[in-house]
Amino acid sequence: MYRFFWRVVKAEALKKHRTTFHSKLVYFSMLIWPILTFAVAYFTYKPFKLSAGAEKVGYLNDNNLVIFILIGYIAHMFFHSLVQSAWGFSSERFWGTLELIYLSPASRLAFVLGNAISSLFENVWLFIIFAIMMFQFYGELYFPGIGLTVIGTITLIIPAIAWGMFLNALFLFSRDTRILFTILEEPMELFGGVKLPVAIFPLWAKIISYIFPLTYSIKILRRIFLKGEELVQLLPILALISLVTLIMIIITILLLKSGEKYAKKTGNMALF
Amino acid sequence: MIKTEGLSKTYVTKIKKGLFHKEKKKVEAVQNLNMVINKGKITGLLGINGAGKTTTIKMLSTLIEPTKGTAIIDDLDLKKDANEIKKKINMIAGGERMLYWRLTGKENLWYYGQIYNIPKDILIKRINKLLKLVGLFDDKDTPVERYSKGMKQRLQIARGLINDPTYIFMDEPTLGLDAPIARDLREYVKKLADEEEKGILLTSHYMNEVEELCDYIYVLDNGILIAEGSAKELALLVNDHKILRIEIDELSFELEKAINNICTQFSGEVKYTRREQHAEIYLTTKEDVSTSIATLLTQYNASIKKFLSEEPKLEDTIISLARREKNV
Repeated sequence: MYRFFWRVVKAEALKKHRTTFHSKLVYFSMLIWPILTFAVAYFTYKPFKLSAGAEKVGYLNDNNLVIFILIGYIAHMFFHSLVQSAWGFSSERFWGTLELIYLSPASRLAFVLGNAISSLFENVWLFIIFAIMMFQFYGELYFPGIGLTVIGTITLIIPAIAWGMFLNALFLFSRDTRILFTILEEPMELFGGVKLPVAIFPLWAKIISYIFPLTYSIKILRRIFLKGEELVQLLPILALISLVTLIMIIITILLLKSGEKYAKKTGNMALF
Repeated sequence: MIKTEGLSKTYVTKIKKGLFHKEKKKVEAVQNLNMVINKGKITGLLGINGAGKTTTIKMLSTLIEPTKGTAIIDDLDLKKDANEIKKKINMIAGGERMLYWRLTGKENLWYYGQIYNIPKDILIKRINKLLKLVGLFDDKDTPVERYSKGMKQRLQIARGLINDPTYIFMDEPTLGLDAPIARDLREYVKKLADEEEKGILLTSHYMNEVEELCDYIYVLDNGILIAEGSAKELALLVNDHKILRIEIDELSFELEKAINNICTQFSGEVKYTRREQHAEIYLTTKEDVSTSIATLLTQYNASIKKFLSEEPKLEDTIISLARREKNV
């Protein structure tokens, strides 16, 4: 059973990769778009003195601005790529392939997981290479040791995959995926703290920002790589992001179950 | 063997009746359906649009849950053993959906093989076998988006066989295909039943296809089973009348009157169509009147171009059955 689950995950990830990367231009667009948006953010800040905001965000200064934005964008790339990919995943319903997946004895969770893993890695690796080059060039990145680097990476990858699974399930059963896309795409970049630190937000915006798991990932990464915090100081937020991830996985399972149950009852695969 | 027992499905739909008010409406898609699908046989499921064919196929495929009744598939219960049943069945639908267009034919089959957990060595052999069966082996590495309609449909058949199902449900498998390609596909379907011993449930709008392929046919109307039997048995069920199709050079009003008389005598109906070069007569009667009509035409010196006595067709049967049900 366990082996079958991972076989489906692998098959779905490969299928997703083959259907998305059908042309070399895809690789090119993967890098160009994030670099452009990163450049826009950087040059928007550039004319202003950041030390003025140091009261609320102590670790942010004119020297580490590039690193601050890059961390935001790396994390954003992880989560953003999954919103786009989930939008594409909803086409499984229109093309009738979802019916065939439901016809098979394979785990439904394996499909959303495989799709999320594939979407994540194929969309971020090129930008990560670019980011590493930038880190090397600016040299303002604090190296916290291997342990915390691994923890930082895990707190980015696992919640992002859980987010992808949740979105896949959500988009799969949604009648109007455009609305979901609009709700999730831009607000996530703004409220997730990609370009601006959440600390400077008013209370209402802070509340919204904690809806997105991206916010927690960015916060952890900046606290590790910019602020140089130790594991003990990070424990509360690590517990919080674990809880958020768990909640996303539980909602995903519930969504998949209720979507299939509804389809069996009504013959209609659009749950809402 | 698949045996359905009182299989029924009721949908509840909501109709908007104002800004905040919605009214619930019950739609009986399939009612109390009892049918049998045997291995090595092709069973037809016919009916006019909305008869409940697709709902029946989806219920048997475990995609939709019956409201009442059940089906036993080789000793497995449709409701209780859905996961085991999934391994024994597959579905093939007409049209160009249900495939990944950017993947090659081989990759499509590989993917579907994976989600059925078919051991790797068996899967490789099966993919090659199926691609040869449907004549796509030479195009196995071509993306599906470059396939013609017929090629896509053949790949659908291979896809439907990837888990080596005992039973295959085919919903309009030749939909939108050109005649020669549809003929080839019919050949594959026949082979599947005759040589591979697959039990096939087929729905189609093409009555000649059903007549040619199906060993036994079930006719649904508004979700109710209204008739069953072989194509010949069904044709005899309602078409107790004889059909005469005649073409003559010229149709005089005297001859028309004489034909009308015979028609009335044998409780029949007649339709005349006058064309520039000839006239057509279409006659349906309870008894065989071909001899009387032929004598009459000779008496009136009509120059006969065509004189055909036709067997009733399955298509007429379905339409007559549906009409009869409405009148009841």
